[in-house]
Parts: sequence; structure tokens; C-alpha cells
Amino acid sequence: MGLVAAPGVAVGSERIVRPRWRARLVRGFAALVLVGHGALLVRGYADPHKLFAFQPFNESSTWRAEVVRVTADGRRVPIEEPWPGGYDWDELVGWGVLERPTVLRHAYSGLDASLDFLDEAIDWVADHTPGDAETLYLEAVTEGYRNTRGPEVRVLRSDVREEAG
Amino acid sequence: MTATLPAPAAAPAPARWSLDDIFDQPASLRPLAVLRIAVGPAVLVHLAPFLADTLRGVTYDERFSEPWWGFVPEVPGAVQVLLVWTGAVAAVALGLGWRTRLVAPITWLCVAGNLFLSQHHFRHNRAFLLFLLGAVALADSGRVLSLDARRRRARTGAAPTDPGDDLGTVWPLWLLRVLAASVYLSSGFSKLIDPDWSGGLVLWDRAVRYQGEVHDRLPGFLADPVVDVITARWVHAVTSPIAVAIELFIAFGIWFPRTRLAAVWVAGFFHVSIELAASVEVFSLAAIAALVIWATPATRDRVVVLDDGRWVRRLDWLARFDVREVPGAELAVTDRDGTVRTGDAARWLLRSRLPLLFPFVAPAHLVRAARRRPAAASA
Repeated sequence: MGLVAAPGVAVGSERIVRPRWRARLVRGFAALVLVGHGALLVRGYADPHKLFAFQPFNESSTWRAEVVRVTADGRRVPIEEPWPGGYDWDELVGWGVLERPTVLRHAYSGLDASLDFLDEAIDWVADHTPGDAETLYLEAVTEGYRNTRGPEVRVLRSDVREEAG
Repeated sequence: MTATLPAPAAAPAPARWSLDDIFDQPASLRPLAVLRIAVGPAVLVHLAPFLADTLRGVTYDERFSEPWWGFVPEVPGAVQVLLVWTGAVAAVALGLGWRTRLVAPITWLCVAGNLFLSQHHFRHNRAFLLFLLGAVALADSGRVLSLDARRRRARTGAAPTDPGDDLGTVWPLWLLRVLAASVYLSSGFSKLIDPDWSGGLVLWDRAVRYQGEVHDRLPGFLADPVVDVITARWVHAVTSPIAVAIELFIAFGIWFPRTRLAAVWVAGFFHVSIELAASVEVFSLAAIAALVIWATPATRDRVVVLDDGRWVRRLDWLARFDVREVPGAELAVTDRDGTVRTGDAARWLLRSRLPLLFPFVAPAHLVRAARRRPAAASA
């Protein structure tokens, strides 16, 4: 049986033969991937989520939050209490990282990433509760312990809702 | 005995190596084929929770999600159903090597598509899985160890042992090597420069926080002493720098022939330890499978002569050996450089290059070598 080579493998020459444009494209693609990967690795030092930066288990921080609905008449109602429209925080977020926020828990992917997700989550919830006509905005008062040090207190607010009567 | 042994079939390595060789020099695709076989099931494991959600009628858009890019309109949940189910079917085909050139990019697209539906789908292990899938898709990874290869051989009459049967372009393998090594480097370096990590605070605090779970998992007589050890601050002051050093050793050591086997073994041990200590989804499976990319992409460049070669053929997934059966022959291995090894040296060379045996023979070899050294010194 003779030499059975893969497509593009020139038997005898021991080199893969490609049109010049394709050879350049392959090299350009590989270079692009490496440069992009390098950029994301470096960016990770400034990115709270460390997306594609491969810095796992980077912290042992903890956090908790009191999340309230601030109504148009100024009341501050904890999200654990009955919600117009029958909404439930845990069902709305549907992600263990953000459920039961009053309980002190490990900060998934680091404190800044967790609180950024919480900030986005209160915006998302404010936008996705059309049956609630009384909440003006949601507010989270967070307490974070960065690698045992703290507390760091932050106040996060959702966008103001137009549905609030 | 030496004179009767055949020389390796492979041609001698070229005198000068250039960057173009990465792109233009054909080499064995077997490492990527073995990786492909492992990555198919890994994708299924990764997609399983999403598949379960869709079966319950739940899609990402019904709960909190965070778009990666604000300008991209929200993608309907039905698209996620399509992505995860198509991805699962494609992953099965990928593992089997059926229409690999088609299903490998589809698998990559589906896994990437699902990841990019929401930022909260991101995990480091999923990004790593995308790297593996990308390399498998870019190379002709279905060329061997696949249904595609079987179909091609039936058509052409070729045999699996034909020279050149598994050759192809391997720049995706080299690209994946750089990406995979950089993952260890990035992880290790970020911990090295963080005093909380390298000083042991991060691991100690985690151990203290999860000591209850550890206690509950262990048998009664072990629970208290183990918890005492893992919650001791000094233990983490010692082990954390070791963990950092391990990652950095893998990142660099895996590139050099002298340290590669040690780095691969340490990496395997490292991933098993992580799997036991933390929840990392498919990372352990993917990362251990990915260690196969560090095998030299050359086929049958060593010759093994032995009485019964069936077990070698079965375990030699990477086709490192040209197996020659000679009735009654003692085991002998001719290495790439023509060196002939017999006895323990041949057994070590043979077993250490068989993926399934390597994790066990490497420490056994070390122990034996350590025992011999004092004996030799006292002789």
C-alpha cells in the first residue's frame, strides 16, 4: 500500500502545500487568536469578571445584601415580603449565586464580580416585573468582606421604573 | 541483540526548525483525535444542565441574564433550545468521529452560542472547553480513530497502519498548546502576585468556611483530625505557594522534553486534586484529556519487539510504537535516536508512553529509581 496522505499533504515533499493567500490567512488567524488571547489575559487584571482571563479561585470573599423595593410613596419593602404581581426574587434571578441575598455567602468569581451581577440583576428584575405597579426602583445595600477584610458597604440602585403609579 | 533490532521507521528530524514548520510540516493528528473522543462526552456533560432546563420548559431569557454586548438584541429562548440540542447531537457525532469536519464546527458554534447568550453563563472551564473544541474543529481530527477514517479506508482500501494515514496540518495543535500552557501561567501568575493567595489566606479562609462539609463527608474517626489540619493557618501558608509553584511548573515545564513527562504527571495529579476539592464542572475531564496534546505528533517512531504485542496495540492510542511480534523475544524498544533499550529501561519507555498506564508507572518508576540510588551508592 502506498503513502496515503491527508488532503493538502504533498506526498514526498513532506510539506503542506497551500495557495499563498490561504497560507497567509492561516498565519494571520493564528496570530489574531494569540494576540486576542493575550489581550484578554491582561485585561483580566482590570475586569471584575475576569472574562477569558483564567484567574480561577482568585478570592475567598463573602457578601450579603438587603434588597428592598422602594415604592412611589417612599416605603422600603424587603423583597422577601409579598410582591405585587406575585413575583419572587429567587425565581426571577434563577441563579444560586444571587438567590437569598440576605444570607452571607461566598463571592462567586470574586466580590466585585458578584456585586456587579447583583447590580445587573436588580436592573433586570426592575425591567421584568410588569405586574408590579407600586415599585419605583429596587435598592440593594451590600456588605462585602474581601478575603476576610471588611465590611465594604455599597448601595446599588436599579433604573427607575415607569410602571410605578 | 542490538544488531537484530529494526530501526525506527520515522525519518530523522530536520536539522533546522523554523516557524513555518508549524504550519507546513504534516504531523500526526492522533493527539487531536484522542482529544476529540474525550471532548465529545465533555460537551454532553457541560450541556446536561441546560438540556434539563429546556426539558422543563425553562430557557435563559425567563430568568436573570446579562448580555455580553449591549447593542446585541435579546435572543429568543427558542434559540437556546436549538443551540443546546443541536450541540448535544453534534457532540455525540464528534466523539464518534462521524462527519467530523461538519459536526466539529457545529459543536463549537453551539457551545459558544450558548455561552454568549448571557455573561452569567461564563466559566473558566467553559472557555477552556471552547479552546479544545476550536482546535479539534480546525484540524482534521476525524482523520484517525473515527467512523470517518473507517469509511475512508473502506473506500480506498488503506490500512490504519499505512504510513501517512494520520498525517495532516497540526498548527491548531500548536495553537492549543500555547493557549493551554497560558491558562496555567495566567492562573499561577495571578496568584503569585496576590499576597492573599500566595500567603495562604484565600485557601485557609475557604477551608475554614467549608470545614463543616468536609467534616460531614469523612468517616467519623478521620473527620476531626482532617478538619484540624485543613483549618490550620500554617498549613495553607505552606501549601498555597506550592500550589502556585505547581501551576507555574506545568506552564513552563511542559514545553521542554526533559521536564515534560513530569509536568504532565503533575498536571494530572493537580486536576484530580482540584476535582476532589472543588466544583469545577468539566474542567478536570477537559484538562486531563487535553494533556494528550503534549505527546509528540509522530507515529510509530519507536520500535518495540516483543513476544505478544496485542496489549500494546490496544493501549497505544497515539500509535507511538511500531509493534513487531517475534515469538519468544525479550522486550526491546528502539528509541527515536536509535538507542536500543531492554529490561527495565524498555518497560519504562514502553509503559510511560501509553496514556492509560502513564499515571501509574511514572510514580512507580520514580520510587524504583530512588530505591536503586542508595543501593548503588552503598555498593
